[in-house]
Amino acid sequence: MMHARTVGTLTGILFAWTPAFGQTPPDWTGAYRLAVGQALEGFEPLNLDLHPVIVAHLQPWAKTKMEATDGVADDTGQICQPHGLFRNSQTATFLWLASPDKIVIAFGGNIATSGVQRIYFNRQHPRNLLPTWNGHSVGHWEGDTLVVDTIGFNDKSWLQVAMEPHTEEAHMIQRIRQVGDGRLLEIQYAVEDRKALTSAYTYTRYYRKIGESLPENVCSQGLQEWREWRGKALQRLIERSRIVR
Amino acid sequence: MRSASMVLTALLMVSAQNGITQDRRAPAELPPDISGVYQAIANRDTLPGGLRNTGSPSDIVLLPAAEQQRKNVDLSADPEKMCQNIGPFRMMARDRTKIEIVPARSTIVMLFEDISHGNMRQIFMMRGHPEKLTPTWLGDSVGKWMGDTLVVDTIGFNDQTWLNDAGAQHSDALHLVERIRPILGGRFLEYRVTAEDSKSLAKPYTYKRYYERLETDIMEDICEQ
Repeated sequence: MMHARTVGTLTGILFAWTPAFGQTPPDWTGAYRLAVGQALEGFEPLNLDLHPVIVAHLQPWAKTKMEATDGVADDTGQICQPHGLFRNSQTATFLWLASPDKIVIAFGGNIATSGVQRIYFNRQHPRNLLPTWNGHSVGHWEGDTLVVDTIGFNDKSWLQVAMEPHTEEAHMIQRIRQVGDGRLLEIQYAVEDRKALTSAYTYTRYYRKIGESLPENVCSQGLQEWREWRGKALQRLIERSRIVR
Repeated sequence: MRSASMVLTALLMVSAQNGITQDRRAPAELPPDISGVYQAIANRDTLPGGLRNTGSPSDIVLLPAAEQQRKNVDLSADPEKMCQNIGPFRMMARDRTKIEIVPARSTIVMLFEDISHGNMRQIFMMRGHPEKLTPTWLGDSVGKWMGDTLVVDTIGFNDQTWLNDAGAQHSDALHLVERIRPILGGRFLEYRVTAEDSKSLAKPYTYKRYYERLETDIMEDICEQ
């Protein structure tokens, strides 16, 4: 099994700062959209159909939990609720912003539910992390590749839309670089979770730069829709509590 | 010594390349760097020089029809209670609102820690408002520097957000002008906003807030119900 966290931490210490002298890290500021079809320019995303890949890596309890979920009531991504970073990795658009000490990725699918991934340079993960939807990310450059290590997830989100569970042990490594003469960003994802997965799984996605800004996409379900969903979710909780008893 | 110099040079190059457009103007001509994390001071606080927050969205005066509409509003339908965007006029006035300002190439981006209610504002620095605007929750914001003050003009709002907690509605004619400038050596931002709306406000209204610069990170704060 890959001990990615150990590897990530060590590389973080060794390469916490930028590429070799004389080089500067690339500037990828801009808005990006998930590349599909011809926009991929021949690049092939690894594990495009991710659900069966994840299912093949789920531990039995996690598979049972996934099968017991309800597509609406248990979906945290419904009705203005957060998605979590794993599902954000499939988000169609994001805005990449850079400052000297960090990179900010604002997810465009719906920022109110997707939130922001902040990738900090020149630091390690804090020892006592409060679990969050998008975790805590630190990054370092390995040549022209940005390597991002993220831990500190809560266990409320799902790995993908079929509600494949993970725990607070989840750990994601992203390796990000430009390909196609700079027209595409390639992001390789590796996900491990010793409590929910039998081993790590990986996938790759490509994103094409579409400009400097993102169109507004605000979570805006109506009051009636909101109340119906709350009712379903509450009913689901009641049913579960009966099962537990 | 030479190594230290190389490190410093490399660091400066990193700063220049990491999304901050290099500007060849003389330092005195450059707009101030307001990038960073800021938090609104409490209304009870007073800054050096007697500077205090003034005004509040609750003090706006509505036109009679808008006031009548407000009285009939179902307060349980407040966008805030449904994890929805509440609009910049209401958001920037809230106690302890925390923002992160990130300059990009052609925009200045304002991210709210309470991302669900504030979302992300993109202030376009190199264009005017488009002729045809599709109304949105955050409107269309264009900015320009006037000396050390960032002046942000926003139009193109939809009518989904409220102006205050009491359910005051606004129309698609809402127009905000915000003036943001660093004060007290950059330790604070002075934020002044004027709202006008010929269809709902009896007269333009201005409030002022002070935001303190913080050396902390923005935390994740996603609305959950």
